[in-house]
Amino acid sequence: MIKTDIAVIGGSAAGLTAAITARRHYPDKKITLIRKEKKVLIPCGIPYIFGTVGAPDKNLMPDAALEKNNVELMISEATDINREKKTILTKDEEIGYDKLIIATGSKPVMPPIPGFELEGVFAVVKDIDYLSALQKKLEAVKEIIIIGGGFIGIEFADEINKLGGKNVTVVEIAPHCLNLAYDEEFCEEMENHLRKRGINILTSTKVERITGREKVEKVILSNGDEMKADVVILGIGAVAHNELARKAKLRIGLTGGVEVDRTMKTSDDHIFCCGDCAEKMSFFGGKTSPLKLASIASLEARIAGANLYGLHRENGGTIGVWSTAVGDLALATAGLTEEMANILGYGIVVAKIEGPNRHPGMMPGVKLHKLKLVFEKTTGVLLGGQVLGGESTGEISNIISACIISRMTANDISMFQVGTHPALTSSPVAYPLINAAEMAIGQMKKTK
Amino acid sequence: MLKILLIDDDLDCIEPLKIVLTSEGFGVETALSPQEGIEKVKQTNPDLVVLDVMMPNDYEGFEVAKHIRENLGLKELPILILSNVHNVKKVPYRFAPDKDFLPVDVFIDKPVDPDILLDMVNKLLGEKREDPRTPL
Repeated sequence: MIKTDIAVIGGSAAGLTAAITARRHYPDKKITLIRKEKKVLIPCGIPYIFGTVGAPDKNLMPDAALEKNNVELMISEATDINREKKTILTKDEEIGYDKLIIATGSKPVMPPIPGFELEGVFAVVKDIDYLSALQKKLEAVKEIIIIGGGFIGIEFADEINKLGGKNVTVVEIAPHCLNLAYDEEFCEEMENHLRKRGINILTSTKVERITGREKVEKVILSNGDEMKADVVILGIGAVAHNELARKAKLRIGLTGGVEVDRTMKTSDDHIFCCGDCAEKMSFFGGKTSPLKLASIASLEARIAGANLYGLHRENGGTIGVWSTAVGDLALATAGLTEEMANILGYGIVVAKIEGPNRHPGMMPGVKLHKLKLVFEKTTGVLLGGQVLGGESTGEISNIISACIISRMTANDISMFQVGTHPALTSSPVAYPLINAAEMAIGQMKKTK
Repeated sequence: MLKILLIDDDLDCIEPLKIVLTSEGFGVETALSPQEGIEKVKQTNPDLVVLDVMMPNDYEGFEVAKHIRENLGLKELPILILSNVHNVKKVPYRFAPDKDFLPVDVFIDKPVDPDILLDMVNKLLGEKREDPRTPL
């Protein structure tokens, strides 16, 4: 039997981050990362396999970080955890541990639409062979239907469209693509942008059936229309891959994730869990959250890795921060949309602002940015923000996320000291975040 | 007494479940086919349904879940799917609750530890029942 101090099961964003964090906090411990994959795909990079980067093996996590941090890598599938003996059984070895971090990730969801078993129907599986087969298939066909207009769906659509000679259609059941994370006006801009790039977008439309003899031939839509299809890709979402934890009788939550407290500890004091396989709690109100994002996984991993031998960090809950980009249009979000804040029952004020991301507006590389912030109306606490425009939107949503986590108010944001430069940022006089906060303060005064 | 309806064509699964749930003070009804299950939902007005998927062929349980929600209009009746469909089919994806395509509350793989099943049943029947499909 091999012995280690800290074992990490899983080698994607959560497992890797947890192992590196554990090394930073516990320099003298032996750390072993066990994963079943020889090579690990970068999850967020999967859509780009089909267009921009061109192959699964160009979208891999480097193992150099493990070597650099003195983390031993064991490539083998963990099949059982013995909590009493504190051992992990893999297909090749038994490993004794002192502390264990489970980061086994998620599996894609397949909605049981009649016909889902036909040849040519694919889920977004994080597996090199599976994605290589999909890539090969895509090269040879013309009619591609993507079910689900979330960020995976639209990024797949745009990347496949880049191959040329394809008819790509996204079918979304909600009134808009990206509906869960963006308000209508932002979704519409992205939908129009996708249409201009040649992608067919159908919203408020459900796929009722996928038909064909042995392989997919058509999809039947809720409006009665039939569409020819050679490949159907389902980008609906993912659920926790909890088999190992379930076999070890760890407590499992309602959405299928391993139950953890705010320190990322499971129902076993020596076992922590982080990433897509862990149950999540919303930052807004504390209910269970089904969100699965790399931003959440890596945060949880930094908490789990630090807390192994004494508690230092706590998880405030999922904010939901992420961005997407199609061509030269980027969208980024953090926290609640206006619609979601209303559904949850917050009284809100909303500030919207538009302006160039350079100053003056004639500078090269200028893009128009649209920003929307949502504040709680009596306290002025920031609940969420969305931004549309160029590359820097991704970092702006990260600032918004930091403000939300710190429970900053409109007044706090209006007091920011921001460094600006004509070639890099908006003007200090018309800095969108600050001006939106000032607008919200004005509205709050009016309503008092 | 809270009543649980077990719909599964496999008696070897139903019997131990019935013993576990009965010993915890639940009233238990059983149905051995999709059709009998739908009839018993109508007749016995259960507080929770535990539903298998493959009865006896492929995926009939999914249709039962849709029928309970869409045709019987029972939007609030907790449905827990307990199935070995993932092991039998060996697919690289999972079926999971989805408000549009699979309107159930929880999906658990067989075999399940009795404590885990009871934990889920109590969560679904408890006052703190949450909607796992809330986006944030």
